[in-house]
This record gives sequence, structure tokens and C-alpha cells, in this order.
Amino acid sequence: MAGPSGDKLIYVNMTDQSAEIRDYPDEWKLLGGRALSAKILLQECDPTCDPLGPDNVLVMAPGVMSGTAAPTSGRISIGGKSPLTGGIKEANAGGEPGQHLMKLGFRAIVVKGQPADAERRYALLVDKSGAKLVPADAYKGMWNYALCESLHGEYPKTASFITCGPAGEMQLAGASVACTDQDNRYPARHAARGGLGAVMGAKGLKFVMVDPGRASVRRPADRKKFGALCKTYTKDYQAGEQMFKFGTSSVVPVANMLHTFVYKNRVEGQSPDAESLDGARIVESFEERGGGMHNCMTGCIVRCSNVVNDAEGNYKTSALEFETLTVLGANCAVQSWEDVADLDRLCDELGLDTIETGAALAVLMDAGQMQWGDVEAMKQLLEKLPEGGAQGRAVGNGAVAVGKLTGHARVPHAKGQAIPAWDPRPLKATGITYCTSAMGADHTAGLIINPGLAPGDFVWESQKIQIVNCVNDASGFCQFLQPTLDDIRDFYGALYGEEVSREQLHDQGWQCMVDEWEFNRRAGFTQDDDVLADCMQQDAIGAEGAKQIFDVPADVIAQTYQRLPAREDLFTTKAAG
Amino acid sequence: MAKVLIPPPYRGPTQGAGELEVEGQCVRDCLLEVERRFPGFLPLVVDANGAQHRFVKIFRNGDQLTGDALQQSAAPEDEIEIVSAIAGG
Repeated sequence: MAGPSGDKLIYVNMTDQSAEIRDYPDEWKLLGGRALSAKILLQECDPTCDPLGPDNVLVMAPGVMSGTAAPTSGRISIGGKSPLTGGIKEANAGGEPGQHLMKLGFRAIVVKGQPADAERRYALLVDKSGAKLVPADAYKGMWNYALCESLHGEYPKTASFITCGPAGEMQLAGASVACTDQDNRYPARHAARGGLGAVMGAKGLKFVMVDPGRASVRRPADRKKFGALCKTYTKDYQAGEQMFKFGTSSVVPVANMLHTFVYKNRVEGQSPDAESLDGARIVESFEERGGGMHNCMTGCIVRCSNVVNDAEGNYKTSALEFETLTVLGANCAVQSWEDVADLDRLCDELGLDTIETGAALAVLMDAGQMQWGDVEAMKQLLEKLPEGGAQGRAVGNGAVAVGKLTGHARVPHAKGQAIPAWDPRPLKATGITYCTSAMGADHTAGLIINPGLAPGDFVWESQKIQIVNCVNDASGFCQFLQPTLDDIRDFYGALYGEEVSREQLHDQGWQCMVDEWEFNRRAGFTQDDDVLADCMQQDAIGAEGAKQIFDVPADVIAQTYQRLPAREDLFTTKAAG
Repeated sequence: MAKVLIPPPYRGPTQGAGELEVEGQCVRDCLLEVERRFPGFLPLVVDANGAQHRFVKIFRNGDQLTGDALQQSAAPEDEIEIVSAIAGG
């Protein structure tokens, strides 16, 4: 076989604490990340299983390009049956573990079973000699930053880590899986959505250590072409618009103008605090406090991640993203980016999705059980969350859980997952993505920021970007690099030394969606579940005289399930999430 | 007439239109003409003081305009592209 060969899969059985290395099927060579996770889950996981039981399967799969010299290509997908939605879920993260696994030739870690003793903790150690499970009880309950500091001293400097915070150990449905960043130290890159941290916690897996040692980058079949492609692509990107040069937080003012910088549990689309939550304030802080823009993984040319320091110049968190500033900030009526940075750090420490947690806190406030913008109360709730109080557990379990606890009906979600910042009322095609993606409300499944889109184009635009993002999330490229399908074809072609057709990638993206939909169908989902919460269909937001609800008819939404013929723009549209 | 290219996030006020042909001596004139036809567009490009938002870039025939982009000339065959720093997040 041309290109990288001899790849392996790691199968881990948590019931008897064994690990086995298997050959990677050659016919899956163009499958990675999200597409590989969906394939494995559909074949090996009972969709009707308890997401927190032994029959769920946790997949950790780097993208196809991870471990190569291609720019910004080291993303890793975490997949499983979501305890939040009850359906299939994939969430991906940057950092180093994806790169390291692929340099060692491991295309995925597949974790099954569950220890008989739920109080035990284990660690999976992966290096060039293989993989083994070892006891890790000493790390039980540790917060992510302290955990990684400890691990950094114990394991080789070259190692990276995938960790489960206290929220995951508590099996909370909003728990994330953390990956260490380029420094191999900070657990700041989270596969956040869908509660996959709870699946990791339910398996008793506290962390995965991946030590590539001196392993080199993956060698492409056509080294000359691959090298030239990397060089040209990097040069063109750096000469271009570089939309994320100052991080995603710089999007705040535009999102506010578009009425998708949501406020107070999404009763408004604009926040009066947009100025003080604007990422420009973070960039301004760099001069006095230090910090700055950096890359979260080796080989990244986007460098969208901000390192945020406190007033004394000490590291506080990374990255403080637009989504967090919106849902954990404006949506809870928090007024200052510095307070959101504190809350972001707490979520990273506990291993919680900042979107789900922000949405849950906003529901709590809307229900009158916390004051709007009461940052101290928010911090206190999160700091005491590991103590297991009812309110903390509900927030950790997500927005719908808080709605149930408080009896508050106004919970903006789709399939049980809180709606992210990008609002489906002004952005109706994005709303179709939230309804039809097997993931529930997830902007990374397919974001369309075009409030002027004609209704006749909604279905194609949603289907198109969902396909593009599926292929992208299989490739390991970061969505913020914004590659097109044609770009990915070029890289795959040089990696394996063979032509990859447009039709192949169209098929791959569509098949990934079909696999995910089929998993959900077997789990019991029907098209009746393809709806947004009532409040999105009843409460309008927008400019005076132009307020909008989400009003796309069900029969139009359902058209997304019919594969449309490819148009030229399918192959030239940039990934967006 | 000069052609103004509208980025997708700004097509709410233009009711989906991505290209508009307008008359104007300078970039500001062209944008004012878009605003006259589609009220609500201009505030997406300039602030309350009439200055270009820092997150907006303006290109003329593919070249980014620096300095006071709004005052720069616009010829009938020119293509003026508005680019806004918004792509996801």
C-alpha cells in the first residue's frame, strides 16, 4: 500500500483491564476522526445501551492527516453514545494527543466495558511498545490542571494527555474530555459537547498518556507533492484574510449586530455588554499582562488560541472563545470578559462544556434561582460542584436537567443539547442543521452565517455544509483552517499517492451522516425529534420591525435527509463551525 | 457602475443580494447608495461616527484598501468587496 501503512487500532477492555492491538483495515485508510468513530460505533455499539453502562463504546480517533506535516491537521475526535442526547456524538479537540497517536501509527483507541468496582480509576499508557492499562486511583477526583501538572512531572516530557475531570468522574452529562496543548501541560483543549467526559468517567478511565518518544511525522507516498502542497497552502493562507488571527472572540461585535450574541437565556439577540465582552479587550490586555495568540498544536498556522493572563500576568486560561463569551457570558448577563475567563478556567478544571454549562446556568437564572449576572454565585456553584449538591449536579447535567429541577419550561435546546451561540432564528439554515444533525444543536455540525439566505436555499446550504464538515472532521484539519473538499482531496491524494475523486469525498461525507442517523434510528429517534425547543418557535429576536422566530416547516427540514445532487460549490465551500 | 460585493453575514439587510451595482465617486458614496436601497446595511460597515469598523476590511479590485478606505475613489468598473471578520467560532 502506498503512503502510511501498518496502522493499528487499540482495543481496551475496562472490565478486565486489558488492552489489545489490532490491525487497521486497509479499506478504512481514508476514514478518520468523526467518520471512523461513526463507523466503529454503528458496528460495535448497541445504540439502545445505557450511555453510562458497560455496553457503550468510547472512541478516540485522530483525523487522517494527524501526525503528518500538513498544517493545522492534528484534531482528534472523541465519540460515543451521548448521555446528554441519547444519540451518537462526536466532539473534537486540538492539542497534541491526536498528533502523537498518529505518529505512533494508532488510528483509534476503542474503549469498551466497565470495571466491576466503580470506585477504581485506571490510566491507559500508549507508547511505541504498545498500550497497557494501569491503576490510577491516586488521581481520583483531581481537577484537570493539577492532574496534568502531576502527570507532566511523572511521565516523559514528550508525552501528551487525554484526561477526565471531576465532572466526568461524576458522570455528569455536560462533561468534556480534555486534551493537553502544545506545551503538553495545560488541559485546555476540550472535546466538549455531548457529555463524552461522562462516558470516559463511567469507564473508570482517568487519563490516557501518549508518548510518541522520537517518532517522526507520518511519511506521505508522494513526498515531493505533499511538501509542495503544504508550502503552497501555508503561503496562501498567510497571505489571505486570516479570519481567526485574533481568535474567535473577535467575532463578538459582528455577532451582536446580527442578533446572535444571545442575552439572558436567549430572550434577546443582543447584549448591552457586547463592548466589555468583545475579544478586542482580551487582545488589548496582552500588552500589559502578557499572554497572546498561540497555536494549540504543533504545525498550526491559524494560531487562533488566545492565552489569557490575570492582572498579575499569570496564566489564567486558554482559549477564551466566542462561544464561551456568548453562552457562559452574555447569555447569563455576565458583563466582563475577565469574569468569563474565570468561569472558563473553572469549567476546564472540572471538565465541563462551557456551552452546556452556560446554557444551564442561564436556565437557572431564568427560573429565578440565581440572579442574572451573579458571577460570584456562578463561581461558587462550580467550585462546589464536586460536592454533589442537587443544583450543581443539575447544572453539570446540562440545560434540560436544570429545566427539570426547577420546573422551568423555557430551555433552548435540540435533542437535549443546549443551543450554541449561533442562533437559529436569524440563521434559519443553521437551525436546520441543529434539527437534522444526529448530534443535536451543534454549530460545528454545519454553520451557515447568512441571515439573507433565500428559503429555497436552506436545505442545500445545510446539507452541503454538513457534508463538508463531516469530511473535514474526518480529516483532522481544524475547521478554522477552513479547507474545502478540493483542498482535502489534494492532501489525501499526495498522502496516499493516488487520485481521490470528488465523488469519493461526497460519498464519505454523506455516508458519515447516514451512519450517524442510522445509529440514532436504532436508538429510537424519529423525525419527530427533529425540532427545536418551543421557545425558539415562539419567542422572536432581532431588530425592531424585523424580529424572527424559527419557523422552517417540518417538511422542509425533512428534505435534508434526501441526498441532493452535488453542485460545484460543494467542493469549494470552506468548512465552517 | 461599480459593483459592491456583500459578504454572506451582511445579506440580511440586502435581502440575500450578494452583489449590487451602484453609482458613486468614492467608496463611501457607493456604500451610502447600498444603504439608501437597503436600510440597515451601512451600520454593519461603519460605526456611529462614520468610521470603518475595525473588523471590516474593504478591497477594491482584489487589493485591500488601507488608510481611510471610505474616501478612496470608485470607478464605474471597480469591484468593491466588503469582508467581515466572522466565520464561526
